[in-house]
Amino acid sequence: MDIKILDSWLRDHLVTKATPAEVAKYLSLCGPSAERVESRGSDFVYNIEITTNRIDEVGIYGIAREASAILPRFGIPAKLKPINIKDKVPNLVPKVDYLDVKVDSKLCPRFSAVLIKNVKVGDSPKLIKDRLEASGIRAINNVVDISNYIMLELGQPVHTFDYDKIAGSKMLLRESRKGEEIETLDGKKFILPGGDIVIEDGEGNLIDLCGIMGGEASAIDNETENVLLFVQTYDPTKIRKTSMHLAQRTMAATIFEKGTDPELVSTAIFSAINLFKKLTGGVPEKNILNLYPNQYKTKGISTSLKFIYERLGVEILKKDITTYLNALEFKCNWKGNALSVEVPSFRAKDVNIEEDVLEEIARIYGYHNLPSRIMSGEIPTHPASPQFAFEAKIRNLLAGLAGTEVYTLSLVSKPDVDEKSLKLKNPLGSDTEYLRTSLMPSLVAAALTNISMKDQFHIFELSNVYISKVNDLPEERLMLGGIFFGYINYRDTKGVIEALLGKLDISVTFISEEQKGFDASKCAIIKSGPEAIGKIGFVENTDFIYYEFDIEKIFKLAPIVIKFREISKYPSQEEDITFVVPEKTEIGKIVDLIWSKNLVQGVSVGDPYNGNNFTFHIWYHDDGKTLTDKEVEKVRGEIISSAKTKFGAQVKE
Amino acid sequence: MQEEILNIKNQALAQIMSSESANELEQIRIDYLGKSGKLTEIIKKIKEADPSERKQIGQTINEVKNTVEKLITEQKNNFKQSAREWFDPTIPGIKPKVGNIHLLTNTIEEISQIFGRIGFERARYPEVEWDWFSFEALNFPENHPARDDWETFFVDTGESSKYGPMILTPHTSSGQIREMQRVKNPPIRMINIAKCYRRQSDISHVQMFHQFEGLVVDRGVSIVNLKGTLDYFAKSFFGKGRVTRLRPYHFQFTEPSFEIDISCGVCMGKGCKVCKAGWLELGGAGMVHPNVLKAGGIDEKIYSGFAFGWGVERVLMMKDGIGIPDVRMIYSTDLRYLQQF
Repeated sequence: MDIKILDSWLRDHLVTKATPAEVAKYLSLCGPSAERVESRGSDFVYNIEITTNRIDEVGIYGIAREASAILPRFGIPAKLKPINIKDKVPNLVPKVDYLDVKVDSKLCPRFSAVLIKNVKVGDSPKLIKDRLEASGIRAINNVVDISNYIMLELGQPVHTFDYDKIAGSKMLLRESRKGEEIETLDGKKFILPGGDIVIEDGEGNLIDLCGIMGGEASAIDNETENVLLFVQTYDPTKIRKTSMHLAQRTMAATIFEKGTDPELVSTAIFSAINLFKKLTGGVPEKNILNLYPNQYKTKGISTSLKFIYERLGVEILKKDITTYLNALEFKCNWKGNALSVEVPSFRAKDVNIEEDVLEEIARIYGYHNLPSRIMSGEIPTHPASPQFAFEAKIRNLLAGLAGTEVYTLSLVSKPDVDEKSLKLKNPLGSDTEYLRTSLMPSLVAAALTNISMKDQFHIFELSNVYISKVNDLPEERLMLGGIFFGYINYRDTKGVIEALLGKLDISVTFISEEQKGFDASKCAIIKSGPEAIGKIGFVENTDFIYYEFDIEKIFKLAPIVIKFREISKYPSQEEDITFVVPEKTEIGKIVDLIWSKNLVQGVSVGDPYNGNNFTFHIWYHDDGKTLTDKEVEKVRGEIISSAKTKFGAQVKE
Repeated sequence: MQEEILNIKNQALAQIMSSESANELEQIRIDYLGKSGKLTEIIKKIKEADPSERKQIGQTINEVKNTVEKLITEQKNNFKQSAREWFDPTIPGIKPKVGNIHLLTNTIEEISQIFGRIGFERARYPEVEWDWFSFEALNFPENHPARDDWETFFVDTGESSKYGPMILTPHTSSGQIREMQRVKNPPIRMINIAKCYRRQSDISHVQMFHQFEGLVVDRGVSIVNLKGTLDYFAKSFFGKGRVTRLRPYHFQFTEPSFEIDISCGVCMGKGCKVCKAGWLELGGAGMVHPNVLKAGGIDEKIYSGFAFGWGVERVLMMKDGIGIPDVRMIYSTDLRYLQQF
């Protein structure tokens, strides 16, 4: 989360000659990121990013503590000014006569409250208003402002109730039941999902949506005389759940959901009491209610100089390590080169293992002070799959064949998938609800966006489709899909596919077969031997020709190394034969027939004329010698007679 | 000497203009530019000139030489003109259809090659993944916000008793565990590039994007090595003049964790509108958390490592001069965009 704090306020807790620009720069290098400083009158505002593990930095005091540890590393003296609790510490007691409470300590590990009587609600002083506003919080009245002021200064959210609105002076802190209703301070009404932390008063009214926002029923107003000051810690998970569910992202909620330090509660309530006395003339009760069954026990972590050296990559002095850690309020006990560290309560959630301690040492030492060096160890010898190179080859070939690569979203809508697709529980919308099982719908959509601009194109994509399996992760099948638009005819597009497969040294056959998503009869399965590896055809009700291949299948078929073929020393003989074929003859089959003949080295077919006249250009060749006319004539005779018997094709003289 | 040179020039030009055959021209060339031609001779005399004038004289001689050569060529062509066919090199060409490889593909290839040069092996791991690989084994606590359905896509299917719910992996980091399980015995140097999915959509976020995940595990791997590797990448990918810096950050699966910044390519680190005080955020990195090594079956007492997972789209958009304003543009299927690259 991002916070804004005033430079002058920071300096209430930090004694240093560092300029705001220096504070921001050095904090960013070694602590929280303060990338922007803006001027505000004669003052400055820092914009600081707090990471989720460092909620101790969300208050100005926490930032001052960081700065006091960091600035001296850049040669600028800095000192933290501790919080000043002027009066002697009031009594913290487990029971008070002004409030009857029942608290589930799992929901609320530390509960504290105090009654402040004879409060005069009014405006806050200018200084307080300015500071709140610089932090982006609107000043309301002195009572509400005190809560916000303490939250910004210490990072501990504080709440206030109008004491006289709490029926029976009774509070029951519990989990909500599903469907219970509450109206919060901002006038919004919520029906609770259940399991939210709430407070019920003596008459069964919900008066607080704990950790998120107080209830309207017990809110402070201009007539308020007696205030119940309220400082707690809550179960962070429950706070996040409620806050996200109700979309009430208050600052208090974003702090509580990260887990606050129970030890901070005393400091916060004492500071708040002082402000109440000063700003509202209120008179606090002597006894503060304090329910804190599981007090913080100091946590110790062991590490060693060797570990620190190894992980850091350089050696640093023991006394420097101690200085860095002490500045962050960690205590150090050295025994030889073994180090035992005591973790302060405000870091207890975040610092658990020696790596965490190392991070503290390393960042204060300064990452910028470390050298850069690529590891010198052994290079791994379990090489990556050659399929990556194969995929690159396919892309290069297709680009060479005028294809343009696209990337489309793998998430599609229901009409675009089949029964083997996986559905998302929480899609962003119904148009992205399913994981695709085919690239076709996405590519058709991509093609449609272009037809008004371009009169001819070829787009393709290599991407996974996801085929569900029983009780397992889906098969992620890498597919090549593509669309031709505006090509002269099917032969032009098929030629592109043949060129691609030719370069990959894969031979295939095209077998007419009906397919889902294609125009009736206008599609084919592409096979290598008996195995189907792809398909091609006209997309239903469009002018698009779509093709696709299973990449893994063609990868397995394609030789990794293409074998050199000797160039023949002898010339070929070429000739044209024109056949008149019956209607609906598959020309590919005649080509196959010609190919199957001895000495035939190549066949091509021209465009038909007069409807069903096809000219076949045939190359005859023998690797061992120059062919004689007689030898060619023999083969020609076989071709003509087989074409006649098998296909009823007549030679056109 | 200047004057002498100019005289030679005028003389030569006059001869060339009045020449009548190619042979005559060739003789003129030899007379002036040949081994003992007039201009060649004068070059030899430069050292006799006043030192302060030598440079100027040298320049003049060069200019004269070029002019004479050019004029000889032109004059020669004039002689041939009558025998020449008309040729117009300015007529526009007829362009063949050309294809395009996508920007993302090129970026992915470039990244793989940069890391390949320092021994990283490319890997690919599931995009639809179990919660265990994407979160649990990466040290995410049960209630971590990334694990809830506000940020991560969940698949509407049964849970695995061993690995929990099925999700669309929100980062390539799930590949860390899979790579450790595959390799078993370090050293590991992996670069895993794959699609990731998050519940987000705005000017700088898309619900499907690509990450590249680096993972190094070996004995004695330190922060110094992480710095060295990422600095090498940044210089290779963005250019020699760029430098990186580490800032403290927080990730569940690394400890310590860093945010890596790179000096701004527009202002070269001085601070400008594009950057934050001279720096741009590149992405996160950190030393592999011991719990992650354990989950991957690696002895965390012997081995240490570092990891980083950065957005392919992000580094692409940060390249100098590319100027793509909105990440969603990268995924446009408009050919007018695709065919620019």
